[in-house]
Amino acid sequence: MKEVTRKVYYLFSPWLRIFHWIMAACIVTLFFTGLVITIPWIIFASEPTFSGMTVDNIRNIHFVAAYILSAAFIMRIYGFIVNPGDRLFSHVWKGYFYKNVVDVALHYMFLKHEHASYLRNPIARCSYTLLYVLAIIEVFTGFAMYYMTNPNGIGGVLFGWVITLVGGEYMAHLIHHYVAWAIMLFAIGHIYMVIRAEFMEGESEVSSMFAGSKILAHEPRDAGHLDGTLE
Amino acid sequence: MDKRESMWDYYLKKGMSRRSFLKGCVALTSLMGLSTDMVSKVVEAAEKKPLPVVIWIHGHECTGCDESFIRSGSPLASDLVLNEIALEYDHLLSAACGEPFEAHLEETIQKYKGKYILAVEGAVSTKDNGIYCMSGGHTFTHLLKHAAANASAVIAYGTCAAYGGIQAAKPNPTGSSGIGMFVGSTPIVNVPGCPPIPEVMTGVIMHLALFGQVPPLDNEERPKQFYGNRIHDTCYRRPFFDAGMFAERFNDAAARAGWCLYKLGCRGPETYNSCGNLRWFQGMSYPIQSGAPCIGCSNPHFWDEDPLTLRMPEYEPLGNVDKIGAGIAALTAAGVVVHGAMSMVQKQQRDEIEAKKKGEQ
Repeated sequence: MKEVTRKVYYLFSPWLRIFHWIMAACIVTLFFTGLVITIPWIIFASEPTFSGMTVDNIRNIHFVAAYILSAAFIMRIYGFIVNPGDRLFSHVWKGYFYKNVVDVALHYMFLKHEHASYLRNPIARCSYTLLYVLAIIEVFTGFAMYYMTNPNGIGGVLFGWVITLVGGEYMAHLIHHYVAWAIMLFAIGHIYMVIRAEFMEGESEVSSMFAGSKILAHEPRDAGHLDGTLE
Repeated sequence: MDKRESMWDYYLKKGMSRRSFLKGCVALTSLMGLSTDMVSKVVEAAEKKPLPVVIWIHGHECTGCDESFIRSGSPLASDLVLNEIALEYDHLLSAACGEPFEAHLEETIQKYKGKYILAVEGAVSTKDNGIYCMSGGHTFTHLLKHAAANASAVIAYGTCAAYGGIQAAKPNPTGSSGIGMFVGSTPIVNVPGCPPIPEVMTGVIMHLALFGQVPPLDNEERPKQFYGNRIHDTCYRRPFFDAGMFAERFNDAAARAGWCLYKLGCRGPETYNSCGNLRWFQGMSYPIQSGAPCIGCSNPHFWDEDPLTLRMPEYEPLGNVDKIGAGIAALTAAGVVVHGAMSMVQKQQRDEIEAKKKGEQ
């Protein structure tokens, strides 16, 4: 047994953790209900009316999950502003960010035995930025389709332009559906990478999303983000 | 044609009663999608407003919109053309032809400059300076620009005039497009549909005729009263959709029972039109009622959104996005397993090196 001295870095506020899990649950719900809405299933060849799997029910679940996700997303933005530890946006405007990306990428390509320690892995940060973009596309196309039931209502006015922008409602449906798959692919990669980091690299990627703190053996390169010494 | 008459003048000339005139006005009001408290305004306009001069030109198209138009039941297309508008020039419906006819067009444009309504059917062919669509010795582009510049308003009848239509389907060999870019600053009303519903066509032109202004438009310049609802949201088969009762094939029991055609590619959820509430030919039927899924004929690009009998495009030989997505997800999962195994090997090597280092110390 080798002995390692580790240090605790408190990073994620309860705010971020709660909304992370709410959003994760919403995304899973939205994805599967979305698939069913696109091509409804036949359940046991029975009258769907009696199965509880009416499209009406599935759609309502989809809509409720969509509203919760959007609300959670807005709450996350608030957390981003208030808690420095919750800021996961990639620092693309900093030179060291790219150096760190190369460092981690070489490790993931098995060209380096290990990468330096980070509180927030720069490649993970990139993937979260991508996820935010995908989620925003889903929110806008989704609400556009949802609210255009009444184009003159406030929702129709707020989101109706999306339909015109993407060149028709059919296109909005397709984009919404295709981007959902992209989010699922992100989820597979995300789950694998955090488990790998937790159990192989000792980077507390899973446990920190429950406990909020990362317990690291090495001084992380971006430790200064927490106390403001690293801009 | 110097003294331009109003609708009421026409009724008087024909010896029709005030009562039948008022009845006609009430019918017109509801047709234009207006509430009944607008009746008095309609009556006022019909009494005083001179019949609007209309020039109706045809571009790159099949004239199917005209076929639809002449089947309008209320108001009857014949009433509209003969009594309610002054149709001075129409490629399709006019008896005259040749040079005198073209001269009359020019005369009309000059005489009613800035006052006439221009109705356009058909797309604009833009490729090779527009030579693929000629009219009266000029390109259609030339005619359209000239006629639109002097019009009070332009009505784009049909999906061709609004968005380019079937001839704009990939690869669009003639460079067809909607007329929007060629009308300059003249207000335009898009009345898409392939063809539009007859009563929608007459309703829009009557609105322009009676009120002298374009009806309320949405952000795609379509009149709100006719394009403000999805077919899906007004469809009489919507309860079957909500209950999850779908026709799986065109000849199964569900299709015969009149269940929802969503799984047969119905574009109702993506299409804005009045088919669901106005229906066709005096409320007789509409495609979904006849057992045919909506093809979204009033949508831009509907011609390229094939196959029309499926919800999503197929990418042969792989299938639709759900199959491809599941395949990529499986590949990603497999990649994850391989990467995980290699990471384990890497970790072992790393631990060995570290152990060796410790041994050396």
